[in-house]
Amino acid sequence: MLVHSRTGKWTAWALFALLFVPLFALPLLVIVAASFSTHWSGAFPSGPTTAHYTAAVRGESLQALTTSLVTAVTASLVALTIGTWAALASAAMGKRGRRILDALFMLPVAVPSVVVGLAVLVAFSQPPLLLNGTRWIVILAHTVLVTAFAHQSVSAAIRRLDPMYEQAAASLGARPSYVLLRVKLPLLLPSLNAAAGLCFALSMGELSATMMLYPPDWLPLPVLIFTSTDRGSLFTGSALAVVLMTATLLALLAVSRIRTRASFR
Amino acid sequence: MASAVRLAAPAATDQEPGPSPRTSRSIPAWVWALPPVAVLALVFLYPLALVVQESLAPGAYADVFASASFRDALVTTVWLAVASTAGCLVLGFALALVIAFVPFPGGKAVAKFIDVFLSFPSFLITLALLFLYGTVGMANGVWTDVTGDATGPFQFLTTPWGVLLAEITYFTPFVMRPLLAAFSQLETAQLEVASSLGARPLRIIRQVILPEALPALAAGGSLVLVMCLNEFGIVLFTGAKGVTTLPMLVYSKAILESDYAAACVVAVVNVALSVGLYVLYRGVSRRAGA
Amino acid sequence: MNSGIRFDGVSVAYGGTTVLDGLDLTVEPGEVMALLGPSGSGKTTALRAVAGFVRPASGRVFIGGQDVTALPPYRRGIGMVVQQYALFPHLRVDANVAFGLKARKAPKAEIPARVAEALEMTGMAAYARRYPRELSGGQQQRVAIARALAIRPRVLLLDEPLSALDAQLRSGMLAELARLHRELPDVSILYVTHDQVEALTLADRIAVMDKARLQDCGTPQDLYRRPRTEFTASFVGNANLLPVTVGADGVAFAGAELKVPTDGVAAGASATLCVRPHLVGLGEGPNALRGRITEVQWRGSTHRLYVEVGGHRVKADVRELRETPALGTEVTLHFAPEDAVLLGAGVADG
Repeated sequence: MLVHSRTGKWTAWALFALLFVPLFALPLLVIVAASFSTHWSGAFPSGPTTAHYTAAVRGESLQALTTSLVTAVTASLVALTIGTWAALASAAMGKRGRRILDALFMLPVAVPSVVVGLAVLVAFSQPPLLLNGTRWIVILAHTVLVTAFAHQSVSAAIRRLDPMYEQAAASLGARPSYVLLRVKLPLLLPSLNAAAGLCFALSMGELSATMMLYPPDWLPLPVLIFTSTDRGSLFTGSALAVVLMTATLLALLAVSRIRTRASFR
Repeated sequence: MASAVRLAAPAATDQEPGPSPRTSRSIPAWVWALPPVAVLALVFLYPLALVVQESLAPGAYADVFASASFRDALVTTVWLAVASTAGCLVLGFALALVIAFVPFPGGKAVAKFIDVFLSFPSFLITLALLFLYGTVGMANGVWTDVTGDATGPFQFLTTPWGVLLAEITYFTPFVMRPLLAAFSQLETAQLEVASSLGARPLRIIRQVILPEALPALAAGGSLVLVMCLNEFGIVLFTGAKGVTTLPMLVYSKAILESDYAAACVVAVVNVALSVGLYVLYRGVSRRAGA
Repeated sequence: MNSGIRFDGVSVAYGGTTVLDGLDLTVEPGEVMALLGPSGSGKTTALRAVAGFVRPASGRVFIGGQDVTALPPYRRGIGMVVQQYALFPHLRVDANVAFGLKARKAPKAEIPARVAEALEMTGMAAYARRYPRELSGGQQQRVAIARALAIRPRVLLLDEPLSALDAQLRSGMLAELARLHRELPDVSILYVTHDQVEALTLADRIAVMDKARLQDCGTPQDLYRRPRTEFTASFVGNANLLPVTVGADGVAFAGAELKVPTDGVAAGASATLCVRPHLVGLGEGPNALRGRITEVQWRGSTHRLYVEVGGHRVKADVRELRETPALGTEVTLHFAPEDAVLLGAGVADG
């Protein structure tokens, strides 16, 4: 509709492909290609193998995957609870209260993740809450980081929720708690699912704060990918990265399937 | 109709309102906000306050500000962030323009792909660039195969340029998403009227599309700027000694050198920089209605 | 049982703007009261004040003789139906209708029967297991009404309930609502609409609202035949509003002496004379007005003539003419003295 001539259109598309393919499509493809190879010393990888994957689902790697999954699920659920609670509370407050609350919960987005890691490290390496060296410090940092995103997407969903449902329920004699449980939360369910997916993906890929905090017995997948590539095992690292991407995608897919079943309009 | 008569009969039991409205005064809204705020304070605000407190150790600021590595990191961080943001804006605008206004089969799939791209961690890009432009990667491999030279010409990965390329690649989708949303609101009738009046594509872009996209560009751009200032994974994976940014400095001071006071000082500077920009971003995006 | 509604000096303001100004109005038990007015006239605000969604700045609201001004909406015992139906999209039709009963903790054993009753009344029994999104607009509206009736409300609030429906469905639903009201003679109904046909058809009385104030209130016939204000005259039905000067036993309009009842209005005052266009006839007769045709509209069974009389435009709806008169034709109009109503004094030409 912007460009009408045939040549103009093809020029635009060619330009698009020229930028899009090497910048966005190629990186993901080379990681996948490398994960099936043993060598890359020419234009293309060589020595096809699936050995990296057999290694990736065993021992240390498998443990890293479970660690990441457990961390991501726990952090997402806790973050979703806190974020939703805060979003609901802020929606019920006056304009000024809402501003303050929203700003507080947005803050972790603006603060660098490394700093969140440092802060958690400083605060929980000393009594009364000595968490350093345990898995809980990693899960806690992840929760802090993703709560902001959970809060943000749930607040947006609450703003979009038509107040007429709430009012119809109230006119039928439903108390606020009943309205929350039977009307608002069910209607927010699709957004809550989407927020859960977002939190899960963010936590699965979290590296910055984790690098500051991970104890030897709680080593999430991104850290393992880093240590592999850092000591030169690029192909093993690629296989692990593909596992990470697949796990994230599967989770997002599962969540979006729930969403389609639960979206009512 | 018998049912109607029964329906109409007053049912006193379930419709009498309670005795007095005062007895059931509900709890004020701010009380409900207390539990999540308390949790946030414990796990985030209090730790952050400790960082600030730690940074105030005697001489810490002076030492850090005097060190060349800090000043280098500050300059590198800022210029990388600014340059990446500029690159993301230009690239994101151009790509979104094609997806939205020169539609092609598979355009929807590309938009979906961009959403998925956003959910992957940033360091994957650096990992991929190692295979593409690393010393033995694809680009250099092609070069040596063709020319017969011993080494290829692409040696920029461990320089700031490698980080810049990775950041532009990773963060461009963050600009495209709000842009595509803004473009979908733009009425195609406007474009059709403009072109029926004889305006050429570049003129339409400048006079019709750009003004509509400005709020989304501003919002997406400031978000990307903040994220670039805070980026860690890309720089870490690059493994370049020559590229040190503020988040990298925080990490190396705290974990590698165990100099917590210095780490906290750098952290405070980084937070001030990003939060300041983030507040700006929120202001811009609120005005843009995002 | 007393189920009426009473507004006692109810005012509502949003951020300094008064959207409802001192409303005094009583809806008798079992009465259908239409709140009729253009958008922004305060009619919906009045309804929402009864429902409890807006808190009056001053004044009290009574339902069934009880002051409910400070009660939260869920304790008012009202049924409400809004324009967009507001059916809960995640619940099936029967669960939507049962919602109010469950929320009010009605005995579990009673609920299925009462849901079935309400659905039967609105003719939706066959759709109990559907989701709202699987229903047409008219069907959704019926479910919304069933849901409101299931809780056996003392008063039923209807906020533009038909305006989302197309014209044909609307007249069907209008008859349906009239039937429901005959079956539920004890329920008071407050019916907010901007459509005069709905108000004239359904209401026992109409309260005409404009600019946040109650302008007029009376039975449909009363308002139509004897409007008290220019606003009522023009909003309820069509009207010629002619600026006149009151004389001893008639009025002067554009140089002509017209015989109309002048009861109460002092001689010499300027006033507005209201004559319905369909009561204006073509040809010689009492109260003859001579003028020139400036526009003719054919409306099927009638012709609408615009006739300029002494600088004023007079509308006349006459039975379809065999031959459409040419523009500029000199014609004579007339109307019976008892068909004219003299409105309040001191009105400018409009």
